[in-house]
Amino acid sequence: MTQEKATADTVLEIRAVHHRYGRALALDGVDLRLVAGECVALLGPNGAGKTTLVNLVNGLLPAQAGRVRLAGGDPRDAATRRHLGVVQQSLGFPDTLKVGELVTGAAVRAGMPRAAAAPVLAELGLTDLAGRRAARLSGGQKQRVQLAMALVSDPALLVLDEPTAGLDVPARRRFWQILAQRRARGTAVLVTTHLIAETAAIADRVVVLDHGRVVAAGSPAALAARLPDRTVIARTSLGPARLAGLPGAVSVREDGDHVRIGTRAPESLLRVLLAEDPELSDLRVEGAGLSDAVVGLTEPTEPTEPTGSTEQTGKVGVR
Amino acid sequence: MNVRVLGVEVLDELRGIVREPAALFFAVVMPVGFFALFSSLFGEPTMLATFGTFGVLAVSLMSPGIGVARDRELGWSRAKRVSAVPVGITLAAKVVAALPYAVGVLLAMTVAAALTGSLDASAGVLLRVGGVLVLGALPFALLGMAVGFQAGTNASSAILNAILLPSAVLSGLWMPLEILPGFAASLAPFLPTYHLAQLALAQFDGGGGAGHALVLAGMTAVTAALAAVSYRHSRL
Repeated sequence: MTQEKATADTVLEIRAVHHRYGRALALDGVDLRLVAGECVALLGPNGAGKTTLVNLVNGLLPAQAGRVRLAGGDPRDAATRRHLGVVQQSLGFPDTLKVGELVTGAAVRAGMPRAAAAPVLAELGLTDLAGRRAARLSGGQKQRVQLAMALVSDPALLVLDEPTAGLDVPARRRFWQILAQRRARGTAVLVTTHLIAETAAIADRVVVLDHGRVVAAGSPAALAARLPDRTVIARTSLGPARLAGLPGAVSVREDGDHVRIGTRAPESLLRVLLAEDPELSDLRVEGAGLSDAVVGLTEPTEPTEPTGSTEQTGKVGVR
Repeated sequence: MNVRVLGVEVLDELRGIVREPAALFFAVVMPVGFFALFSSLFGEPTMLATFGTFGVLAVSLMSPGIGVARDRELGWSRAKRVSAVPVGITLAAKVVAALPYAVGVLLAMTVAAALTGSLDASAGVLLRVGGVLVLGALPFALLGMAVGFQAGTNASSAILNAILLPSAVLSGLWMPLEILPGFAASLAPFLPTYHLAQLALAQFDGGGGAGHALVLAGMTAVTAALAAVSYRHSRL
C-alpha cells in the first residue's frame, strides 16, 4: 500500500509496521492513516493480523519495526492514551462495581470531570441502570457500558474490536447510530469485524488484511463489487485453472476433497460446471464466508495447469 | 490528576472488598481468632507483635495478589492498560486499599488483648508496633502481586497460602521459636517474616531493630523488581 502523507487532522498514523511472535510474522509492512471523523473497517479472517494491529494502536504491544502515532504521540505512553477509547471483547470490569461508578471512574482516569459521566450515560440509555451492579447486567448492557467508558473521555480515536458480536439487530443499529453522532463531532473510528455486510453501513473505507498484509483497501461499495457473495462447494474432477475460468468465478480454493468457488453469479457458473463435469457430486451453495471473500481479493495467480484432479493441486487459483 | 486517579482506584478497590468480603473475612477473622485463643491461654503481651505480624501479612499478601489475578481474569487489567492510567497508580491503589484492613486486624487484636487481659503496652508502643507492621507489609504486598501477575485467582490463593503459613510457623509468629524444633530457629533469620516480627517486638523493649529494618528494605527492593518483571511478562 502506498505511504500516505500525514496532515494536521491525522488522528492515527501507522507506517511500515512489522510484528512477529517468535518466528511467526503477524504484520508485514502495514500502513494505515485515519483522519478526524473517519471510520475505517479492518476486515480479515482469523489470524490475518487484525488483533495485533489493534493492540499496537491501543498501546498493548510495542512497534517492533515501523511507527505508530496516535494524536501525534506514542500509544505506549499513558498520557497519549487519553485520546483513545477502546471497546474490545477481551476487556472487562469487576462485577462489584455499579454502572455509574464504572463510567465516572473512566472519566476521572482520562482526566475529565466526574460530571462528564452523566451525559454519556444518557446518550447510551444507561441513566436508569447507573445504580445497578455490573454482575446484574445483560451482555448487551455490558457492551453499552464499555462503549460509555470509551466515549466518556471524548476520544480522538475509538477502537472497536468486533463490537457488535452478541448484540441483536436493534441494539446493533443503535450502536452504530451513536457512533455516527460521535463521528460527526470528529471522533475517528477503527473497527474490526467479520461482518462484511456491516462495513457498508458504517465505514468510509475498508482495509482487508490477510497474513499480516493489506491485500485490498477502498470504499465498501468498490470492495463489495469485487467480493464473491456466494460459495459453490462440490467434489469435482476439474482442475483449479479450469474452475477459475468458469463464468462468474471470482476465487477458487481447495478444502479437503472439496473445492470452494466464490462467485457473484452462481446460476451461470453452475450451468457450465454441471455441463463440463458429469462426475460432479456433493454440490451445495452457501453465502460467502470471509475466508472465501479474502481469497477473492488476493493478488491474481497464474493457472498452473489447464485441467486436472483437484486432489493433486494444492494451489489456489484466483481471477 | 494522579491524586484524583489514585483516589478513584482506591475507592474501586475498597468497594470490591466491601461488596464481596468473603475472601478477606477469613484473612481477618482467622488471625484475630487465633490471637484471641492464644493470648487468653498464655497472656503474653508481646504476642500482639507476633500475631499482629501474621494478621497484617495475611491481608497484605493475599488481598493485592489475589486482586491482581482476578483483575487479569476479568479483563479489567487489560482495560486499565489501554486507559490513560499509569500502571504504578493502579498497583499502588491495590496496596493502599489493603491498609485499612491491616489496621483493622491490628485494632481487632488490640481489643481482643484488652478483653483477655493481656494488653500491657503504652499507646505509644502500640502505635509504633502498628506503624512498623503496616509499613513492613509493603514487600509482602509486592510479592503477592508478583504471584498474581502470573497465576490465576485460585492458584494465587493457593501459592500465597503456601508461602504465608510455613513462613508464619518458621518465623515464630504462632509459637515462640524456643519451643519449635532447632531447624526452625536456624531457618528463621532467612525469612523476611521473622525480621518483620522482630522489628515489631523491638518496639516493646526498645531494642535495636536497624538490622531487621535493613533486611526488610532489601526485600522491598527485591520484591519491587520481581513485581515489575512479573508485570512485564504477565498475560493480560
